[in-house]
Amino acid sequence: MNFALRKLAHGGLLILGVTLISFSLMVWFGPDQTYSLVGKNASAEQIAEIRKQLGYDQPFIERYVSYLTDLFTLNLGASNSSGEAVSNILKKTIPVTIQLMIPGFILGNLLGIALGLLATYRKGRWIDRLINGFSVTSMSISFLVVIIFLQVFLCTPYGLNLFPVRGWQVTGLSSYLLYVTVPTLSLVFITVGYNTRFYRAVFVEEAGKDHIRTARAFGASPASILWRHVLKNSLVPITTRFMFSIPLIVVSGSLLIESYFGIPGIGKVTFDAITNGDQPVLKAVVGLTAVAFIFIQVLTDMIYKLIDPRIA
Amino acid sequence: MGSDLRLWGQLRADKAGMAGLLVVAAYFLLAVGVWAGMLGQDWSSAGGDRWASPGAEAWFGTNLLGQDIFQRSIYSVRTAFEIGLVVSVLSTLLGAILGAVAGWYGKTWVDGSVLWLAGVLDSIPFYLFVAAVAFALQGKPWAMHVAMVATFWTGTGRLVRAEVMKIKSREFILSARAIGLPDLVILARHVLPNTGHILLIQASIVFVAAIKTEVILSFLGLGVQDGVSWGLMLAESTQEVLAGHFNNFIAASAMLFVLLMGFNQLSDALQDAFDPREAAL
Repeated sequence: MNFALRKLAHGGLLILGVTLISFSLMVWFGPDQTYSLVGKNASAEQIAEIRKQLGYDQPFIERYVSYLTDLFTLNLGASNSSGEAVSNILKKTIPVTIQLMIPGFILGNLLGIALGLLATYRKGRWIDRLINGFSVTSMSISFLVVIIFLQVFLCTPYGLNLFPVRGWQVTGLSSYLLYVTVPTLSLVFITVGYNTRFYRAVFVEEAGKDHIRTARAFGASPASILWRHVLKNSLVPITTRFMFSIPLIVVSGSLLIESYFGIPGIGKVTFDAITNGDQPVLKAVVGLTAVAFIFIQVLTDMIYKLIDPRIA
Repeated sequence: MGSDLRLWGQLRADKAGMAGLLVVAAYFLLAVGVWAGMLGQDWSSAGGDRWASPGAEAWFGTNLLGQDIFQRSIYSVRTAFEIGLVVSVLSTLLGAILGAVAGWYGKTWVDGSVLWLAGVLDSIPFYLFVAAVAFALQGKPWAMHVAMVATFWTGTGRLVRAEVMKIKSREFILSARAIGLPDLVILARHVLPNTGHILLIQASIVFVAAIKTEVILSFLGLGVQDGVSWGLMLAESTQEVLAGHFNNFIAASAMLFVLLMGFNQLSDALQDAFDPREAAL
């Protein structure tokens, strides 16, 4: 009980911090919208009127409190640039981003775990070195370079010309596969290096522990040691990495992929909102990301207890 | 001193690490050449034909504005080192100071506040944060640097904090306290120097991260504002590759890849040299 309360207080403080920083940056120091809303040759009174409507005449603390209130009452308002309700925009774009990112995210992690296990199994041999070389190579190539290369190689007449160059016209499974393949391959390639590195380090550390030596002394086969002892005992760090990269991958990762391929997901909407100063959209995205992060932390703690009863 | 020699010996024996060091040194010389005004000075003149093939005139051909791609990719070495050095030095410093203070006053409100700040910064999606900083600093060329330093210190800070908490209870620190040295002197003269290996490794990791991030930010229009960088060249090339002109893309990605590969190898070698447990494997 005490544990849960502490977690909740911790999460609350984090939400407060994230909203405070994003409010200061995006609203207080963010773009001033007065002049895009008033007409030409506006009088001083008209300008003052608009500033009042936007709340610009209020002191910092009051504007921050009203920002928090809006967030917690889910009073998300309407986009400044299109006039569409923010909740509508989110409903339209979040599923697109999830469909776009899920395959690459899962494959990137599974491949990382598989390669990490293989490298641990053959530690110090040529296959370990090969996997390490591959990881370093993947870590040394820019995300943008991978995207451009795969686009030219797979989507244009200069390469294999198999997939559409950009866009997202998904109506069924076949069109989904058509549009999701190239972004997925880019995401897998760019994350697999870091994932493999991380998972190999976790597995190697686990494999060096005493109970593994004991299991080996009892004659357990290397494969069963890897599977039953190393992998199972590494579930805590695996879960942590997997869970904690969800909110960041979904927003940050999708931002580049969606801008590049012109896919109407949450990343592109957010980026456009930043450049246009569309505050209602930004409020919603940042607030929801923070809440999602806290939610995931709590969920992760619950999963820990399932996989490792020692964690109280 | 003796341990420095041992580390250098270990580094010397690491072939991939030494190759990485040579690559980084070669790039650094190029950057010095550009700083000294001897190399890549002709990067912005748009004299030639657009999309000319590589030749004696322009070694890597020209881009869509007729600018010399070779000159541009050489000048970009300077841009990359400026970004990498500024961001890695400042964020390592910030991480060292905040991490050391948090570790020294471990489990107090000071420690709690530093951890809270790091947790908050890690919970904001990075590119959103950079874009917001870039906007708050309207048009300032160093908005990108500020955003990276503000977020990249957290990893270093956490590692230094943990190390300082370990060092704090060692005997030489207890004796320094016993003879009445002030906290600040102990921290600066006796604690921080013992975290040097973490700082060196983290600085090399952040250097790579900064250069990679610049590419994405420049593509998104939030990165380098004046001058040229591999990121800007790649952003240009996104227009060109669909029309079948690959010189800009190949030049920028190759220059970028070789430097990052060299740096990653060097960084690995440093980690192995400082962590004999992992190196023995």
